[in-house]
Amino acid sequence: MPVIVDPDLCNGCHNAKQPPCVRMCPGDLIVKDFNSNKAYLKYVDDCWDCLPCVKACPEEAIRFQLSYQMGYFNATLQPHVHKDRQHITWTCVDAKGNSEEFQIRTKVLPVALDEKLDDDLTPDFSI
Amino acid sequence: MERSEQQAINRVVHESDILIIGGGTSGCLAATELKEHYPDLDVHIVEKAHVDRSGCLAAGMNAINAYLNPGETAESFVKYVRYDSCGLIREDLVQSMAELFEYSVKKVENWGLPILCDDDGNYVPRGRWNIKINGESLKPILAKAARDSGARIHNWVVVTDLLMDGDRCAGAVGFSLRTNTFYIFKAKAVIIATGGAAGLYKPNNAADAQHKTWYSPFNNGAGYAMGIRAGAEMTSFEMRYVALRTKDAIAPTGTLALGVGAPLVNAKGERFMQTKYRHLGGDGAPTPYRAYGPIQEVKEGRGPCYLDTTHITEEQSRQLKSAYLDMYPSQVLYWAANNIDPAQHPVEVQTTEPYVVGGHCQGGYWIDVDRRSTVPGLFAAGDVAGGAPFKFVSGCWAEGIIAARAAGKEVSGMAMPQVDEAQIDAAYERTFEPLFNYSKIKYGVRPYDMEVRLQKIMEEYAGGASCNYEMNEERLMMARQHLAELPDQFDQLVVEDTHDLMRAHEVLDRVVVAQVLVEHLMARKETRWPAYQTRTDYPERDDLNWLHFVNTRRDPANGEISVIMHPYEQLIPGDRYHPGAAPKKPTA
Ligand SMILES: Cc1cc2nc3c(=O)[nH]c(=O)nc-3n(C[C@H](O)[C@H](O)[C@H](O)COP(=O)(O)OP(=O)(O)OC[C@H]3O[C@@H](n4cnc5c(N)ncnc54)[C@H](O)[C@@H]3O)c2cc1C
Ligand code: SF4
Ligand code: SF4
Repeated sequence: MPVIVDPDLCNGCHNAKQPPCVRMCPGDLIVKDFNSNKAYLKYVDDCWDCLPCVKACPEEAIRFQLSYQMGYFNATLQPHVHKDRQHITWTCVDAKGNSEEFQIRTKVLPVALDEKLDDDLTPDFSI
Repeated sequence: MERSEQQAINRVVHESDILIIGGGTSGCLAATELKEHYPDLDVHIVEKAHVDRSGCLAAGMNAINAYLNPGETAESFVKYVRYDSCGLIREDLVQSMAELFEYSVKKVENWGLPILCDDDGNYVPRGRWNIKINGESLKPILAKAARDSGARIHNWVVVTDLLMDGDRCAGAVGFSLRTNTFYIFKAKAVIIATGGAAGLYKPNNAADAQHKTWYSPFNNGAGYAMGIRAGAEMTSFEMRYVALRTKDAIAPTGTLALGVGAPLVNAKGERFMQTKYRHLGGDGAPTPYRAYGPIQEVKEGRGPCYLDTTHITEEQSRQLKSAYLDMYPSQVLYWAANNIDPAQHPVEVQTTEPYVVGGHCQGGYWIDVDRRSTVPGLFAAGDVAGGAPFKFVSGCWAEGIIAARAAGKEVSGMAMPQVDEAQIDAAYERTFEPLFNYSKIKYGVRPYDMEVRLQKIMEEYAGGASCNYEMNEERLMMARQHLAELPDQFDQLVVEDTHDLMRAHEVLDRVVVAQVLVEHLMARKETRWPAYQTRTDYPERDDLNWLHFVNTRRDPANGEISVIMHPYEQLIPGDRYHPGAAPKKPTA
């Protein structure tokens, strides 16, 4: 399983209908469950490992590990966007537990917690 | 709610001057250019994901791979691309995009893209044609510019087909992933920018890593398929892209080869490119040979192959990882999860599933220098457009800009085309059929099942990785025969929700693209681009008979695909199999 939303850390972005993780996935793979108010990766087999979801989550609630066939447990890679939005610090932990940090210059644009839908049509998730 | 209840689906109509299908790299630049030059035009972008992170740029980029570094010119670029593409390209297209590299890169830099500069403020080159960037946020930067330009953006609307007014393209239809809505976009001109096609062949990895592909698994060739159905001429699909990538993670290797000068070696540590392919340029041989070389080594028992990075320092190893974090973060985790340090271990490489990508190779719409397709009113830009390889991000920007300028000019003073209701009703039925089938058909075909069937046919009969990308007439005939069965089963596709409806349209578009691809592979009776198109029955390059573009057109009336040949035109003089001289380094 590639990216995993940690239900203990996800707050559903409060009452957002289209939280950042849902909006930023280029494959429409993440869904928010409005009963539990948590997001989850619904289409596990379709993930590209591209990470916009991970970078956009304000709670840093999405964990990135590789599919097991690709690499050993418990290696992880987590980005942290600095407050100035000019840098990201990536923390990479290898399978033996050693960690390495990288600071990368960037220009992260603000990501809203929610966004209105096109034409103001009410979403209908029942279909 | 009953899924078959048609009343439950809203119909929304939008009329615009110009409709851009696909809000990716090219689409965003087309929109900004249009609104800058023609502020009064009504421009709509329709995108199946969210423009902030859609398409190839979702993860980011660490280099602009097509730029004229000091001393280079549009002509020297054409010479190099012609050499790299084994002597056959549309030189007019490649030259016109090169002339806009600087304009487009400066534009995006002004929007906030960090480009690495030396102490004198000059861009830092990586090889002859690349410059280094910190492009993790490149896509959100482009999307913001498109939004700020005043273009209207429709996110999460999957386009399923074009609308026509007689012979002229008059818009498109699609459905929303979020609301029960059928969208009808009427427009005076359409720019298609939906990218290339992944997922035609068996992917490199299986199960929960099946989408661990290099090319975006969400770019399914929808734009090709729509054009094919509308009778647009396509070119050069047979120049498939088989990429040399890192093992398993399938990350780009330019960062290793160009970034730290890592040579290709086989299992014995031999630099086979320098010996066996020396006459073609060795480690700098045309891109298809840099895939073909390692494939042959593995086939002949000297695999695995590596990019040898063991000469680099620990500090360079960290820089390498930083560069991947801007573009392909999973590569860094892959090394960590497998205890690999590129300073200590050579990086294993493999070749990918074949893609159709007009930005690296040249499969796509046959266009004129204004990026006009053969269907009036329909323009094409970026990976979906053919004839101009070595496009990369900057070439895609350039093509978006060229198409925008020409389309803007064309629609000035034009009346809105007419689309009859019968056409819209038919498109509606076609779009939602798999969803309506849910309550009609007890057992049906899932999109995933059809995708696997398609990939199996292509893999085994049309030169997949497991066949060393090789093919011959007889196998291709088998592919053609099997593929012909699939369209008859489209009406058996069954889905439960709009996400799966998208997957259904992805697979039926892929089938159409695969059918055309097989016709192209069959038509070219020579091997011009080894690995991309290895014909075991015609193993040599044959300039006497095959210095032509292979084009196809599907007749919308009866679905028959015909092959059309177009002669190659040399515009820039010089030896077509020579890269042209690199400019002399200025002496300090
Ligand atoms: C992993 C990777 C790394 C790369 N690295 C570099 C690099 O470092 N430097 C470089 O110069 N080049 C790089 N490239 C190449 C470059 O990114 C592409 O050539 C370029 O981005 C393609 O632009 P495009 O506009 O044609 O397609 P995209 O940017 O992919 O845009 C296509 C858009 O169309 C949308 N779409 C598709 N189908 C539909 C539909 N049916 N309805 C509505 N919308 C649809 C997609 O969601 C997408 O947003 C890389 C490519 C990849 C895949
Ligand atoms: S962005 Fe993060 S916190 Fe918000 S819903 Fe998604 S996972 Fe939960
Ligand atoms: S890693 Fe990419 S494809 Fe996977 S869920 Fe996140 S955004 Fe979607």
